[in-house]
Amino acid sequence: MDMSPYRDLFVSESRNHLATFNELIVQLEDNAFDRAAIDEMFRHAHSLKGMAATMQFDAVTALAHRMEDLLGRVRSEEIVFCRALADLLLEGSDLLSGMVSVIENGEEPLADATSLIERMVSFTPDPLKSKRTPEPATADAGPETMVADSPQSRHQFRQSDSFKSVRVKTETLDRLVNITGELITTRHRLMDRARRYDAPALDEPLHQLSALLRELRDEVFKSRMLPFAFVAERFPRLVRDLARKQGKEVSLQIEGKEIELDRGILGEITEPLVHLLRNAVDHGLECPDARIAAGKPPGGLVKITVARDKDHVDITVADDGRGMDPTRLAQKAVEKSILTPAQAYNISRQAALMLVCVPGFSTSAEVSDVSGRGVGMDVVRTAVHVLGGTLAIESETGRGSRFILRLPISVSIIHALLVECGKLTLAFPVNTVSRTIELRRSDIFEEAGRKVFALEGRHIPLKSLNRLLDQPLPQGAGPIVPTIVSETGGAMAGLITDRLLRQEEIFVKPLGIPLNRMKNLTGGTITGDGRIVFVVDASTLV
Amino acid sequence: MSATVMIVDDAVFMRNILRAIIKDKGYTVVAEAASGIEAMRILHDQDPDIVILDIILPDVNGLDLLESIVTVRPQAKVVICSSISQEPIIKKALDHGAKAFIQKPFTPEKVLAALESLEA
Repeated sequence: MDMSPYRDLFVSESRNHLATFNELIVQLEDNAFDRAAIDEMFRHAHSLKGMAATMQFDAVTALAHRMEDLLGRVRSEEIVFCRALADLLLEGSDLLSGMVSVIENGEEPLADATSLIERMVSFTPDPLKSKRTPEPATADAGPETMVADSPQSRHQFRQSDSFKSVRVKTETLDRLVNITGELITTRHRLMDRARRYDAPALDEPLHQLSALLRELRDEVFKSRMLPFAFVAERFPRLVRDLARKQGKEVSLQIEGKEIELDRGILGEITEPLVHLLRNAVDHGLECPDARIAAGKPPGGLVKITVARDKDHVDITVADDGRGMDPTRLAQKAVEKSILTPAQAYNISRQAALMLVCVPGFSTSAEVSDVSGRGVGMDVVRTAVHVLGGTLAIESETGRGSRFILRLPISVSIIHALLVECGKLTLAFPVNTVSRTIELRRSDIFEEAGRKVFALEGRHIPLKSLNRLLDQPLPQGAGPIVPTIVSETGGAMAGLITDRLLRQEEIFVKPLGIPLNRMKNLTGGTITGDGRIVFVVDASTLV
Repeated sequence: MSATVMIVDDAVFMRNILRAIIKDKGYTVVAEAASGIEAMRILHDQDPDIVILDIILPDVNGLDLLESIVTVRPQAKVVICSSISQEPIIKKALDHGAKAFIQKPFTPEKVLAALESLEA
């Protein structure tokens, strides 16, 4: 039976056993004759041994077995639980923790426990010290004779070390974000009241509250950050295995592993990245013969680059393979009735490349240089959008493709531009807004049947946000047309709305059924005056 | 109809692996318990054909639990799960009504062999 699916479970269960085991050791140092605690420790060592044996982690099994043995000797009252024994068990527990971490990372080999096991086997308590001394086990406990590297001093190190960091459940981290988010919403409400009741005395404490909340938010986010390396560790192996299966030579380079992202985002982005790597190896890169014929080195290169820029992170997956041909992609879209011939003729290069993200554009049954990249790309795009990010594709025929995932650094609490549209107040995440502009009616003209306006020499199509979201159009339109300019996935558009309100930090909550089926909306929030605001996915509108 | 099985083991890890091993072979896992007390509570409502019982549990002595199971559900066939170091306990368990035992660390073959031995 393939045991690898159980590795994560083994790791988490082992950690639980070891954590309790350590607590019990400390507990026993206070009361060496706590029979129940000895029994429980025995059981934890026994369980760990059994699990490790099933998984065939022999080094873990051997060490846990010796620890179980030692505790068995305490149980049978052959020896008394003493400080030296506690040290030995803690040493064992630390070594086991290290092994579990190695297993978690899929590395090998496990640490060599031979010398520790020997010490455990030959352990005999000093008869004079076998009864626990009443002093706490601290460095100033008295002039005990010990060498610098005695188990005692290691124990000291272990203790002080464990005070510097604690293990926190991920649910706790998620709750901290929620509470911080709710606090931010509450602050908006307070500020709204203060404005309404004209209470200047509240200005100073509110100002301070805002500053503290900013600090709290930053700290909460910081505590959730993990380096990209955390998910990237398994990629080299994945690429290697995929390449081998395809008979290709591929090297994977990862740059910016140390850059940190919110753990929630990392969790959501792992599968999309696996999709992109799989597509790159399976469809993007050519076979060695084809590469040589094209004047390239036989081995292909896939490169993941992570780069941080102010409030977002760009993750780029690039390959030096055959690339994609926008013209042929557009032709295929016509064959599949995704585009009309006229649309295909007018489509921009970038928009043509984005066709691979249209669900059903290609299936795994028809992998080819033209369409093969589409497998799972709609999944990738959706995942990126749900996180409030954007996906862009660049490709050059014969030279390779680049998939750029632009992601926010953290989730849930974002800066947004609030706008009024019909009966709704909407929030646009600021990273999806290129700029806002107040157009005059005379700035708008028609081109090929579409309304456009000129921006820095480019003609940008204009769309009505009210129409897109089925909202009533404003009565008696004035001379000024408030417009949001948004650029996502290489496409740019101006979205006309009724009124631009303000920029605000908001706490985004997921929408429930049935609102979560609206493809234009990604979440909701509540403003200071109690109104519900929907967060808009600009990329679905542009 | 496939035989119904209840797994009693305090380690979720072990329960998962046992479930994975026997599911493929047409057994239906109808209940899982992480402790002796939970096991007895479940047996109040459930009537599994087979109980796979880890002899070392956090709350009760596995042998005592075995006796209770045999009393409330005499028709259930109990398979003891234990490491060889507990040999005396295994002997006692077989004397007290256990029908088979699976030696830990187990392999899928050992587990299935123990279950098949029940049908003989």
